[in-house]
Amino acid sequence: MSGDLRLVRALVGCYPPTWRHRYGEEYAQLLCDMQVHRRPRLVVDSLLGAVRAHGGALMSGDSPLALPVWSAALFTAAGIGFAKLTEDFSRIAATARITMVIASAMALLALATAAAPVAAVLVRGRAGGAWRCLVVPLAAVALWYAVIRIVGHAVPTGPNIAAFAVIAVAGLGVLAATAWAATRISRQVPVAGSDRLRTVAVTAMAVGMAGATISALVWGLRVRTVDAAVFDGGQGLVATPFIPSWIAVLSVLCAATVLSGIAARRLLTDA
Amino acid sequence: MGEEMGRWAEPGLLVLTSLAGGPKHGYAITTDITEQAGVTLGPGTLYAALQRLEERGLIEGLPAEGRRRPYRLTAAGAAELTGQAQRMRRLAALSLERLRLRPA
Repeated sequence: MSGDLRLVRALVGCYPPTWRHRYGEEYAQLLCDMQVHRRPRLVVDSLLGAVRAHGGALMSGDSPLALPVWSAALFTAAGIGFAKLTEDFSRIAATARITMVIASAMALLALATAAAPVAAVLVRGRAGGAWRCLVVPLAAVALWYAVIRIVGHAVPTGPNIAAFAVIAVAGLGVLAATAWAATRISRQVPVAGSDRLRTVAVTAMAVGMAGATISALVWGLRVRTVDAAVFDGGQGLVATPFIPSWIAVLSVLCAATVLSGIAARRLLTDA
Repeated sequence: MGEEMGRWAEPGLLVLTSLAGGPKHGYAITTDITEQAGVTLGPGTLYAALQRLEERGLIEGLPAEGRRRPYRLTAAGAAELTGQAQRMRRLAALSLERLRLRPA
């Protein structure tokens, strides 16, 4: 196979499977016709198109749980970051911190409610081969544990930013693998459960995430008021200053809330 | 279409305009748009526009000719393009009129 064809195949391969099934052949021909291997700008345009197509696949209605699941993964990552950020300041702005925990529990409980019918189908063994997707998060957790063991042995004493960063990135990988598997399963069991239950649950999840985001915002502002030295200090995530860490956690919480809000709005519109 | 198509309004309009001249496959559409409008649509941009237009029923794919699939304008697509063109014509006329009246 020539390098040109390899490039074309690689570019087509960047698109989601459903998209490739519909447009793959003709798109590959277009890339050949446009001599994409001689025009880097077109390669970039194709890659951006693939990113948009993946976004479209995530946003599309082929699984009403895809967007809530990915927003929950983002939310969980931000929630762990918030827990890490607040662990040394448990006495400052305790009310906002507890409110954040309650709102997070509400959001994740709502997601569990929305996903319960799919889980029931899976447990009853009526989901065909969808259960095989469960291997992915289990393998990811096993890998994560292996990373912890290896990094733990490599750095036996004292705090180590690089080791923490490796463990954190591996943990994000576990979240992504879990979200991917959950999305795949929900796509293979698309009609499980009542639409009304799902709509109410996803709406409650969005409300919970919004509450958690506001609580995290209030918590940071309270820290600023109560103890300015902490707010301006350097006890953030991975030895970064506090303010960028707080803003990063807030940004991811906001992103998760927006995604879940879009999912809820879509379900409410379809209802 | 402007609001519905969002950021794809311009590529979508260009594709509709190209297909108003008859069915074309992807490469023929880009070539036509480059020649007639002086705009080169990248492959990702073109197929994002084709997909959206097809989903909205403004164009439809014809049986593939080898690995190339021609697309043609539907009746809804022709109506949409007519509406857009008339709006643009009114806007162009208004702009020229006001520019003519503007004091030097």
